[in-house]
Amino acid sequence: MLAVIATAEFKLKYTGSVLGYAWSVLKPLALFTLLYLVFGRVFNLNELSPYYAVSLLVGIVLYSFFADATMLGLISIVTRDSLIRKIAFPRIIITTSVTLTAGMTLLINITVVGAFLAYKQITPQLDWLLIPLLLVELYAFTLGVSLILAALFVRLRDLQQVWELALQLFFYASPILYPIGFLPPWAQKLAFLNPFTQVMQDIRALLFYPDVASNRITAAGAFGGLGRVVPIAIAIGTLVVGYVYFRRQEPWFAERA
Amino acid sequence: MTVGRGVAVEVAGVGKTFLLPHGHRTTFKEYFLHPFHRTAYERQQALSDITFDIAEGEFFGIVGPNGSGKSTLLKVLAGIYRQDAGTVRVNGVLSPFIELGVGFNMELTARDNILINGTLLGLTRRQINDRFDEIVAFGELERFVDQKLKNFSSGMQVRLAYSVAIQVDFDILLLDEVLAVGDQEFQKRCFETLAEIRRAGKTIVFVSHDLGAIKEHCDRAMLLLNGSIQAMGDPEDVLAHYDALMHRDAVGPI
Repeated sequence: MLAVIATAEFKLKYTGSVLGYAWSVLKPLALFTLLYLVFGRVFNLNELSPYYAVSLLVGIVLYSFFADATMLGLISIVTRDSLIRKIAFPRIIITTSVTLTAGMTLLINITVVGAFLAYKQITPQLDWLLIPLLLVELYAFTLGVSLILAALFVRLRDLQQVWELALQLFFYASPILYPIGFLPPWAQKLAFLNPFTQVMQDIRALLFYPDVASNRITAAGAFGGLGRVVPIAIAIGTLVVGYVYFRRQEPWFAERA
Repeated sequence: MTVGRGVAVEVAGVGKTFLLPHGHRTTFKEYFLHPFHRTAYERQQALSDITFDIAEGEFFGIVGPNGSGKSTLLKVLAGIYRQDAGTVRVNGVLSPFIELGVGFNMELTARDNILINGTLLGLTRRQINDRFDEIVAFGELERFVDQKLKNFSSGMQVRLAYSVAIQVDFDILLLDEVLAVGDQEFQKRCFETLAEIRRAGKTIVFVSHDLGAIKEHCDRAMLLLNGSIQAMGDPEDVLAHYDALMHRDAVGPI
């Protein structure tokens, strides 16, 4: 059921548009080009590391997934009110399927990153096999956030505007376009409380192993020892909270959405 | 109730109240300006103390004027609304047709819509693939399978929806006025399939304003008025009661 609805959503997203699925690649690439020109070239962040561009691309691709999935997740229940009023099925399928749709776009974008890696002649390493696990963690966190937002939006219709703003803040608060090394150590710890930052930095450290050390700071490095599990615990905790809250609100979606 | 048959649906003391807010407080501004001020609600008692059983294999009709709680009751039975009071027990797989073609999307092809609609109604992908030809043949839509639904006439859409709906395996069928949409020919076919469903020993709960159909097909009927059961039993008696009630209202309170 999940697969059927997620596939249908994916087909619908680009129906009637000339470039179709290509948009899912073009949008992050356009954002990347713009930010690369401004920050990489004009502000010369490019000179700090030979991997600035591809590192930025990784950040943008992951961020686009998080932003798209949570935005689609937030409106997922309210925009399907007519469906919800006519048939009983676990509502969690709706929110999960739209985040999976964003996940399909992420997979397409990852192939673009792969092309950049090949162009940079970075040799694949065995520990890259950890990357799918990190993506699963990011998905768990994203789904948790989406479930909370979807259930809250049924009651609080201002949330869509607030979340759009929050996503902007999220973008600049996360070390996506500036290296994490720019932040003082206390701010790095703060940034790593966000599972998104932890996943992004772990993936960058795995992919760009020859990069300068300050760009390869990970949660494990910032927290030391067992502290590295903190963001992972936050990701899993978010999913649990999201699931429980969503299931508790679910019986009233049909009359409130 | 017929002796020897099990109970398909058991409803005991069910009540449902909707809170209809006056100027619903759904924005932050309203929360912040009046954080302790509770929104004024109008309580609307849609159902109160509803108790009845439906036996397995029974064709059960529900009648009542608009706003009497028929659809709310069906939605509580279907698990779409959660009741505030009482219990609902359903023995077997219940399939609600509150509307035909749930989840239909005009931008997708008939093929995709069959898959989505069928999935929502509880069919597996394999079942849909196995029965695909049958679905298309029943709706006489072979030539149009790969066309977008927006290019279908409304009659074709109804045919497609109905063709999918009858493929669902259920024990209890809830029908809410869905048969009113088609033409004569379509309605005739619908009642033929309903008769087949009945012969297979399945239970049908039928909400309709078509009192003739209620009288003709139902084993028992129930009359709802303002969310309460007014009469229940033999369809003839219930309809007579309904008729008297409407007539009294037409004359006005004495």
